[in-house]
Amino acid sequence: MDFGYTPGQEALRREVRAFIAEHITPEVMAEMDGHNEGLLGVTLGTSRGPAVRELFRKIYERGWTGISYPKEYGGQGSDRLSQYIVEEEFARANVAIGLTGTGAPAILAAGTEEQKRHYVPRLISGEFRFAQGFTEPRGGADLASLQCRAVRDGDEYVINGQKMYTSGAHYCTHIYLMARTDPDAPKHKGISVFVFPMDTPGITVRPLWTIQNDPKAPTRTTYGQSRTNETFFDDVRVPKTALLGKENEGWTVGTLGLNLDRVGAARYLISVLRDEDIINWVKENRLGGYSPADNPAIRDKIAELWIEAQVCRLMTMRSMSIVERGGHFSYEGSAEKVWAPEHGVKTSEAITQMLGPYAQLLNGSPRAVEKGIFAHNLMGSFQSGINHGSTQVMRDQVARRGLGLPRGKKG
Amino acid sequence: MDVLLNEDEAMLRSTTREFLDAECPPSLVRKMEQDAKGYPDSLWRKIAELGWQGMALPEKYGGLDLPLVQLGLILDEVGRAVAPLPLHSTVVAALTIARDGSEAQRAAILPDVVKGQTILTWAFTEQDPRLLPETIHTQAIADGKDFVINGTKLFVDNFVAADRCLVVCRTAPASSDNAGLSLFLVDAKSPGISHTPLVTLAKDKQSEVVFRDVRIPGSNLIGELNQAAPIVERMLDRATALLCAQMLGATRKDAEMAIEYAKYREAFGQPIGAFQSIQHICADMIIWIDGGSLLTYEALWKMDQDLPASVEVSQAKAFCNEKCEAVVRFSQIIHGGIGFMMELDLHLWFRRVSAWTMRLGTTYEHRARIARALLDFPGRVVLGRPVPVVPEA
Repeated sequence: MDFGYTPGQEALRREVRAFIAEHITPEVMAEMDGHNEGLLGVTLGTSRGPAVRELFRKIYERGWTGISYPKEYGGQGSDRLSQYIVEEEFARANVAIGLTGTGAPAILAAGTEEQKRHYVPRLISGEFRFAQGFTEPRGGADLASLQCRAVRDGDEYVINGQKMYTSGAHYCTHIYLMARTDPDAPKHKGISVFVFPMDTPGITVRPLWTIQNDPKAPTRTTYGQSRTNETFFDDVRVPKTALLGKENEGWTVGTLGLNLDRVGAARYLISVLRDEDIINWVKENRLGGYSPADNPAIRDKIAELWIEAQVCRLMTMRSMSIVERGGHFSYEGSAEKVWAPEHGVKTSEAITQMLGPYAQLLNGSPRAVEKGIFAHNLMGSFQSGINHGSTQVMRDQVARRGLGLPRGKKG
Repeated sequence: MDVLLNEDEAMLRSTTREFLDAECPPSLVRKMEQDAKGYPDSLWRKIAELGWQGMALPEKYGGLDLPLVQLGLILDEVGRAVAPLPLHSTVVAALTIARDGSEAQRAAILPDVVKGQTILTWAFTEQDPRLLPETIHTQAIADGKDFVINGTKLFVDNFVAADRCLVVCRTAPASSDNAGLSLFLVDAKSPGISHTPLVTLAKDKQSEVVFRDVRIPGSNLIGELNQAAPIVERMLDRATALLCAQMLGATRKDAEMAIEYAKYREAFGQPIGAFQSIQHICADMIIWIDGGSLLTYEALWKMDQDLPASVEVSQAKAFCNEKCEAVVRFSQIIHGGIGFMMELDLHLWFRRVSAWTMRLGTTYEHRARIARALLDFPGRVVLGRPVPVVPEA
C-alpha cells in the first residue's frame, strides 16, 4: 500500500497551480459565470468568450487535456493519477476540465484503429465533444430496457427513437448513442453503441430546463447546469462505420465507458467541495455575533462530514489504483458511486442546519451567503446520486457482483 | 499511490489467514473466555516463531523491521480470527520502548518480546476515561534514585498476563512547558501492585490496577522527566490505528458470515439474500468496512513515513466506531433469532467488535480532535492536504 504521490506527480501539481495562478483571470471567471457545463461546454457552447477559449488553448498546448491517453492518439502517455492531479487542481480553481468524458475511454477500449485515430485526438483538442444518448423516457436506471432502434439497411443504419437528459446536445459535435439492434435477443444482448455527428439529418434537440436554471447557479455548484435536453431521432441514417464495437455487444462497450468515466477527480470533488466550503466559511465568518464554528453540535457534525469526505477521496484513490493495474473492477466503482453522492447530499443538508435561514438564499439575493451556493447545491447534490447509475442500482451491483448475492424472483 | 495490497502484503495476509484458520478455531476463542490468563501459551510461542511480536521492531533486537502497515495486516487477521492473544498490548508497548526508550531499556526488553518470552501492556486511563493528559492523577514521586508510584489505573489490557507495564504518571502539575506527565516501565509483579479483573462484554482480560507505594528504579523512566505527553500521544495513536485494523478484520469476517447466511437461508420462497432490502444492507456493510480500512491503512502508512497522523488516526477510529458497530448489528439482524443464541459463534465477533468501539477514544472524542484541527487554526482547509497538526492539549 502506498498513499503518497511521486516527486514527479508533486512537481506536476506545482506546475498546474502556478499555471492556474497566472491564467485563471477575473476575465475567465466572468465568462464562466452562470455557465456550469465545464470548460469545454463553455468553449464550444454557451459562452464562447475569448478569455475562456484562450485558456483552453493554453491548457491543450501543455498536453493536460489528454495527459493519460496514448501518445499515438494525441495524448501524453502519462499515468492516470497525473490526469487526476490536473483535474483536481482545475476543479478546485472552479474550472472543470473533465474533458473526454465517457466517449474517449470507450473508443480506446472498443473502437477500430480508424475510430481511435479520428476521434481521440479531436476529443483531446476540444474539436469534438460527445453528448451521451443513453437514457430514454421509459428507462434510465433500467438502461438495458432501452427502445431506440437502429436497423441495418445496406451500408447504413437507420435510427429512430428518443433520448432523455442528453446534456450538451445543443452544442456538442457528436452523439454517443446506445440503440437496440436486435429486438428479439435478451435485453442486454441486442444493444449497440454508435457515434455520429449531431448535424446528421433527422436529429431534433429540445431543451429541458433544470431546477437550477432560475436564478443561474453560481460557479462551483454541484451539477449546477441550467439546461439539459431531450433528443429525437427520426429516420437518422448513419454509415455502418458509426458502430462502436461489435453489433449487439454495445452493453459491454457502454458500461465499460461508464465505469471508466466514474473514476476521476471530477466525480468525487463535486461531492466533497462543499465540506471544504463550509469549514472555511465558518472559520472566517460570523452571523451577527454568533460563530457557528464554536457550536459543539456543528463541530461534531463537521468532523463527521470531514471523515466521510476522506472516504470519498480514498475510494477514488482505490479506483485509480485499480485502473492503473488494468481496470478490473469487481464492485469498487459502484461502491464509490454509492458513497460519494450520498455523502454530498448529507453535507448539503447538514449545511442548511448550520446556517439556518441564510442557507435558503439564492444567487443574487440580498444577504446571500457565497452567492447562494449552499441553496443551489441542495438542489444539485442529489443529482449526482441519480445520473450515471443511481445509488440504488449501484447497491444492487455491489451486492450481486461484489458479494455474489442471488438475483430475486421477478415479482 | 497504489492503495491496494502489494504482492508482499497480499502474501502476508494469506499466510496469516491460513495459519489462524488452522490454529485458532472458534472453540479455542470460547475456551479462552473461561481461562484465567486468557491466551494459550502454545499459540503465543508459535506466532513468535512467525515473527509477529517483532514484526515492526528493529532488526538489532531480533525484529523484522517491517512497516506498521504490515503489522496492521497481522492485527487485521488476528481480529478476523478473534484470536485470544495479548498481541495488541504487547506490540503497542514494545513499539514505544523501541522508539522512545533508552538503549539499555530496548536491549533489556525487546529481544524477549520478539522471542515471545515477555508480554507487555500499558496503563493510561483512570476514572475520567478521556484520552487527555489532565485525566492523569496517578503520581510518581522521586525518592533518591527511585520513584514511588501511587494511584489507580482502569481498563488495563492483559494485565493478568503481562510481565511489564508502561505506566503513565503525573510527576508535576501541568505547566505552559509541558503536561507534567512521565512514562515508567514497571514490573507487573512489583510489590504494592494489586489488580482486579473487570468483567467485560468481550470477555477479554482487562484489569483495575492499584499502585500502592510501588518503588521502581529511576532507570525505568522512558524519555525525559515530565516530557512524556508527546510519547504517550504517539503510543495511543499507534494503539488506536492498530486497534482499528483489528476491529476491521473482525467486522469483515462478521459481515461475511451474514452474507453467506443470506445466500442459503430461505424465506418467502427464496434466499433472503435475494431480497433487495437485505442486499442493500450487505452492500452498505462492505462499503463501510472498505472505507474504514482505507482510513486506517492511510493512518498507519503516514506513521510509517513519519508524517503527522493524529487527524488520520482520529478519522479512522471515529468512523470505525460507528460503522463497525452498525455492521455487526446488521449481521445479527440478518441472522435473526439464531444470532441471539449462545451456540452460534457469531456473538464472539459481535461482542468483541462492540467492546473495541468503546476503547481508545469514543466517536465524540475523536471528532472533537478533528474539529479542533479543522476549525481552531488559521488557514484554509483543503481535503487531501495536511491539516494543522493537533498540538498536545
